[in-house]
Amino acid sequence: MSKKNIVLKSSNGIIFEVEEAVALQSETIPYMIEDDCANDTIPLANVTGDILALVIEYCKKHVVVADGDGGGSSSSSQEDLKNWDAQFMNDLDQSKIFNLLLAADFLNIKTLFDLTCQFVADTMIKGKSVEEVRRTLNIEKDYTSEEEAKARQENEWAFK
Amino acid sequence: MSLAILSCLDDPSDLVRASAVSRSWREFVRRFSLSKNLCLKLFHRLSSVDRITEASNDRDEEESSEAGPSSLMDTRVLEREHRAYALLARGCKSSPIRSCIAEAIVASSTDNYPAESILNTLEERDKIDNNTPSYWSSTGQHKTSVPETLLYKLKADLCVITEFSVQPFQAYFQPGTPIYSSHYVRFRLGHHNANSQEKKSESGKVPPVESNYVWTYTSQEFPMAQENRLQNFKLPEPVLCVGGYLLIELLGRVQTQEMDGLYYICVSHVKVMGRALAKSFRVVDPDESGKFGLKVVSYSDPQEMDEMEEEAEQSPQELDEMEEEEEQRHLGPVRNPRLSPMRNLEQLLNFLRRRPRDVDYVWPESDDTDSDEEV
Repeated sequence: MSKKNIVLKSSNGIIFEVEEAVALQSETIPYMIEDDCANDTIPLANVTGDILALVIEYCKKHVVVADGDGGGSSSSSQEDLKNWDAQFMNDLDQSKIFNLLLAADFLNIKTLFDLTCQFVADTMIKGKSVEEVRRTLNIEKDYTSEEEAKARQENEWAFK
Repeated sequence: MSLAILSCLDDPSDLVRASAVSRSWREFVRRFSLSKNLCLKLFHRLSSVDRITEASNDRDEEESSEAGPSSLMDTRVLEREHRAYALLARGCKSSPIRSCIAEAIVASSTDNYPAESILNTLEERDKIDNNTPSYWSSTGQHKTSVPETLLYKLKADLCVITEFSVQPFQAYFQPGTPIYSSHYVRFRLGHHNANSQEKKSESGKVPPVESNYVWTYTSQEFPMAQENRLQNFKLPEPVLCVGGYLLIELLGRVQTQEMDGLYYICVSHVKVMGRALAKSFRVVDPDESGKFGLKVVSYSDPQEMDEMEEEAEQSPQELDEMEEEEEQRHLGPVRNPRLSPMRNLEQLLNFLRRRPRDVDYVWPESDDTDSDEEV
């Protein structure tokens, strides 16, 4: 396989050059290449440099392991990858996580998108009270107090 | 994206709280049936639920379904489904694990009734006061291959069963103290077949009792040791019983009785552990394809319900109401003020059906038989 490099450009003009295999984990980028909007550089107007760096870090890690799969992957490498994913997410602050989620959605990188969703669900919603969830995720309360009281009363068991 | 995140939640109480966060989240949770999906992930069997009703307002719902605009109806249906499935997932995951057998119904054969009745298998000990042995015994057979079955009713229409235990009986009063275990044991779960009564009258013949039931789950065959201890048969994963009936199949005889050279199977105790959702749900009209309706009895927390259930067992009032309904399902529109005599009658009838010959058998009242010494 010839090692072709692809150049990605973030919204704030930062340039990343990555191997094609790394970039192609995104299902959006192939379309951009086909659309010929990128003989040299693919502009990613929705992704900032720091987030794109994270995305590339993730894709590089995962492309290595995907290569290993071809030659018979061991369960320990899968395990390592899981741990790496967990560590990767843990090191991020909340705004990075949200932007990463948006970027994974835009670039259509399914595993990263699922990973981020699960992380958000586990750390920001699971076991949290309604008020905590609203605060953490900055969601406006658009219920009237009566509606909220009714919702609580209907499924009282979940609000303890 | 909210949908993707909310779909990651695996605890129904998180889902319920999430739908109280904002209108759009509420919409997501309901429109995409997230709590239903959660239930289906837990037990695929729940995909056979074809309708959900609520105990309080069955009639209202039916009336309004003809009137109201369809969009409003949809919303209400989704709302009800969300509540019911969230509760169901809660019950399946979090209600405490308890003993699940409510009563023993009938055995495929009984050597001496009632001294060796299936009722004895509800008793944990193999010997009760004044040294009376407590066990069920099959009739004797020449062939080892003749199977036996024990039929039980569980404490709820919906039970999440986690494990079964069977203790074969050791005839400590016989020479050599033989243990009348079976080679294998298999468990089936299912529901009473509402149509079975009609079939009977058409054919004029009485089918075996099991044919009154539809078995929707059959476990693997577990090997049973010829040892006198409560043997635990743990299921690879919990199983949902829809309909509340359990059939224990004892396959392969291993022990002959010295005095007649026939093979017997005897069991001193049967125990089933799981989560009984009696206080939250009833199963309505399960059909032979396995589809069934689900009726929500109460939206209270199934986790706490269970503690109340313990008390309810002492207060027969409530239990009777439930059982009466139960009786009617079995025996047609006969109203029975008290449960237990009727159940005994059913057992007797079942017993008689299995005994084509004329046999002297003893009424439950005259309990002292001299058959204790034989199995």
